Amino acid sequence: MAKDRLLDVLERYEAVIGLEIHTEITAANTKMFCGCPVAFGGEPNTRVCPVCLGLPGALPVPNEAAIEWTVLAGLATDCDIALWSQFHRKQYFYPDMPKDYQISQYDLPFCSGGVIEVEVDGPGVAERIDLGGDAVSVGPGAVAEDGGYRTRIGITRIHLEEDTGKMVHVGGSEGRIAGATHSLVDFNRAGTPLMELVSEPDIRTPEEARRFAQKLRSIWLALGVSDCSMEEGSMRVDGNVSIRPRGATELGTKSEVKNMNSFKALHDALAYEIVRQADLLDAGEVVVQETRHWDATARRTSGLRSKEEAHDYRYFPEPDMVPFSFTPEWIEGLAAGLPELPDARRDRYMVDYALPKGDAAMLAADTATGCYFDATVDIAGADRAKQVANWMLGDLTAHVNAAGIGMGDARVTPALLAELIGLVEDGAISGKQAKQVFAEAAETGDAPGAIVEARGMKQVSDTGAIEAVVAVVLEANPAEVESYRAGKTSVIGFFVGQVMREMRGQGNPAVVNEVLRRMLG
Amino acid sequence: MSALDLSSLSARQVRDGVAAGDFSARELADASYARIQALDADVHAFLQLTPALAYEAADRIDAARVAGEELPPLAGVPAGIKDNMNLIGTRTTCASRMLESYESVYDCTAVRRLLDAGALPIGKLNMDEFAFGSSTENSAFGPTRNPWSLDCVPGGSSGGSAASVAAGMVSISLGSDTGGSIRQPAALTGTVGLKPTYGRVSRYGVVAFGSSLDQIGPFGKTVDDAALALEAIAGEDPYDATSAAATVEPYAAVLDGDVRGLRVGLVTDILEVEGCAAEVRQSVLDAAKMFAALGADVAEVTLPSAKHGLAAYYVIGPAEASSNLARFDGIRYGHRVDDAADVIDLYSRSRTEGFGPETIRRIMLGTYALSAGYYDAYYGQAQKARTLIIQDFRKAFEQFDVLLTPTTPEPAFRFGEKSDPYTMYLNDFYTIPVNLAGNCAISVPSGLCSESGMPLGLQIIGDHFAETTVLRAAAAYEKALGFDTTPPLVRGRV
Repeated sequence: MAKDRLLDVLERYEAVIGLEIHTEITAANTKMFCGCPVAFGGEPNTRVCPVCLGLPGALPVPNEAAIEWTVLAGLATDCDIALWSQFHRKQYFYPDMPKDYQISQYDLPFCSGGVIEVEVDGPGVAERIDLGGDAVSVGPGAVAEDGGYRTRIGITRIHLEEDTGKMVHVGGSEGRIAGATHSLVDFNRAGTPLMELVSEPDIRTPEEARRFAQKLRSIWLALGVSDCSMEEGSMRVDGNVSIRPRGATELGTKSEVKNMNSFKALHDALAYEIVRQADLLDAGEVVVQETRHWDATARRTSGLRSKEEAHDYRYFPEPDMVPFSFTPEWIEGLAAGLPELPDARRDRYMVDYALPKGDAAMLAADTATGCYFDATVDIAGADRAKQVANWMLGDLTAHVNAAGIGMGDARVTPALLAELIGLVEDGAISGKQAKQVFAEAAETGDAPGAIVEARGMKQVSDTGAIEAVVAVVLEANPAEVESYRAGKTSVIGFFVGQVMREMRGQGNPAVVNEVLRRMLG
Repeated sequence: MSALDLSSLSARQVRDGVAAGDFSARELADASYARIQALDADVHAFLQLTPALAYEAADRIDAARVAGEELPPLAGVPAGIKDNMNLIGTRTTCASRMLESYESVYDCTAVRRLLDAGALPIGKLNMDEFAFGSSTENSAFGPTRNPWSLDCVPGGSSGGSAASVAAGMVSISLGSDTGGSIRQPAALTGTVGLKPTYGRVSRYGVVAFGSSLDQIGPFGKTVDDAALALEAIAGEDPYDATSAAATVEPYAAVLDGDVRGLRVGLVTDILEVEGCAAEVRQSVLDAAKMFAALGADVAEVTLPSAKHGLAAYYVIGPAEASSNLARFDGIRYGHRVDDAADVIDLYSRSRTEGFGPETIRRIMLGTYALSAGYYDAYYGQAQKARTLIIQDFRKAFEQFDVLLTPTTPEPAFRFGEKSDPYTMYLNDFYTIPVNLAGNCAISVPSGLCSESGMPLGLQIIGDHFAETTVLRAAAAYEKALGFDTTPPLVRGRV
């Protein structure tokens, strides 16, 4: 589907989008109501017990760590935390749900009424037709910058529930249920603590939806609540989308889109759905309320059910657990332990170290990177923050990506990186040498100073020594000397190269340049 | 046949005899199985006998005694387990076709504690299917008969638990009580049955009926035996989030028969209930007089909302049951049709075939009560009634230590006599409010009906976690009354 089809539709229709985001609390280590470990994959039905298999007589015991993580998630997204809360049973029959009810929350979720501020810049800005292009400003407290805009997306609630098992349909095409002869159930995932966040229908474009989900993921990662893998399903985003003619206030009929396994898929599925609904309305047809499945290969959505089943979940308070009551002091204690969130960290880097927004955002995107940066700047000094950022976003990032490790696991520790930057700034080694030293330190974990010593890489800044070499080089290249003096000053590069070669790369480039210009001039 | 007659021994005498070397645990297991052999073809208390487990436990006790080790408090005591409690090595059927071949893969906490205390697991006991009923007539495997008269029901749902103790097949047994399922059969079989405070005994491993109402409790021939058994099974359990941290007291050690100064409330306003036999009323009034004679301070008290208990219970109980029984869907275990067209067909037919009529009735009732548009009118309203009943009890226990009511409106009835569900439900009129309020209560024999010769029961209700007070009062009454708990039929047969 061409992008301009979406923009064309958005000229005439306004999209109203709300997201439901399920995140497994992988940080909780054990399942929501039993002691089975939380992990991805594995031999089917090996991480199970009477409780998560729903055997007769088994009872749920709440995982307090999972509740704390949920409250933390709520605090990080400006939610109100309920002082009194409880679980409910949501009842429906499905083979992946061992008890045929899901322990979830109903009218008393742990968190409600939050907000996340989302920034949109780049090409996605164009989807906000109503804002008319470049520098725009939306919503309270919004600031126009970089040709982008900010908007605030409300969070209705965050509640806690247990995940279901997984079905494998056999005999049909691509594991879909249609045409399958039978199904297998794996309960390894059953009972995994699952946070469900429901946004307000404040989202107006697929790009805003994508940014919202990305922002949420960065917050969850900063908290450490989940590994947020959309591929492995530990973060799952469903979208509710409807459209209405521009200017209309009444909501259109929505469809729910599922199975988006990446942020791009989320954007594209919503875009597809908006255009599909517009085509229906334009043709005088109606949108049917239904759940639709995004097919990333075919790049289209298809209806999961011919007709929306009117589910009556018969919610009632879970009698196997007593309600939870929290004190303001307990909540404040958790709030005090909140880590610095990505936006605040990025803003701090911009203000304190005058880093460009893009660099600051990348350094602040996850806690490990941010902590590495802070630790290095602590040692190297704030005046070298820019160099720290350059090293981290350059050689260090390349190194950890190539090695497939986390920033925190790099053998070049913040102390070693600070030492390396010090050697460069003090003129002890050149930038080019520093790259060699970094590569070696990354390999061995040796201190840059020791590497420089062992390799005899000390940079020569002594003017007398450099003058002697320059004299030899000028003597050996009279023609080039002639052309320089005739005005072709660009041959200076040739001389620098020659001098550096003679000095096996250890000449201080600044001093070499200075001496050359003087002796040539 | 063994020379040992279990019906003439209390659990305390059994375990003291084992400790003294008067008889071995193995001999006790022999005696238990001999009586079952002699009587259970008529009584049908057991659904399953577990001699391998019982003799293994007996041998362990006997070896420990020979080795001079200290014996656990229920060493060698033959015990029966209601068939809704899980025990590895047994089937746990809930007397239902649905779970006819279901084998336990873990142990119910209360059962585990009972066995750790040295009791011998003789077998699994009959019950109304999934504990829905007051007569065991709802068992998918045939009813249990009352050892006092084989024409009469033993009560239910823990009818097998009551009958096995009454007939002297075992010394103690475990039952579960959601609306009276321990106390009502205890009353109907002349045994002692205790429903502990909600949270006193772990529910982990007992197949749930009404999760906010269920409690496991003991049957015994004496109050002392019930106290010994409660001591073994009570206490907090990390596997049950509703189990309470309240201290487990040495219940049996304080039964000295002294009730002087005990504040006893005679509940008067519900004595006149529909169908309450005059003789039942009189036996409660007599009991009150007896307490007064023993030095207790007796006064009248009312529980104005208790009469709404039955209606509230038949909304809340089925609502919770409809949810708890959803898992019996034929997918992972239990009865399953083998020619299902699709998953809905599999659910629908497996459940229709696997469940009996009363179970289906409760599921339908509960599903309806929780449905959108009806929730407030039924479940919400029932919870309000429940709150009023809780307040009644709270108020009463500000003035009284224990309350007296009949356990049942009438003694044991004949098979088939109560064919419509409502008449059957009325049998639990006095016991249900206690479950709704979460209090503890005991049923202790209060004599025989002069007309039918069947036992009557007195219900003594206590405050939350006041089992000690209830047991003290019951023991004093038991001693003063001097009721002979051995059914004539049993005496004649062995």
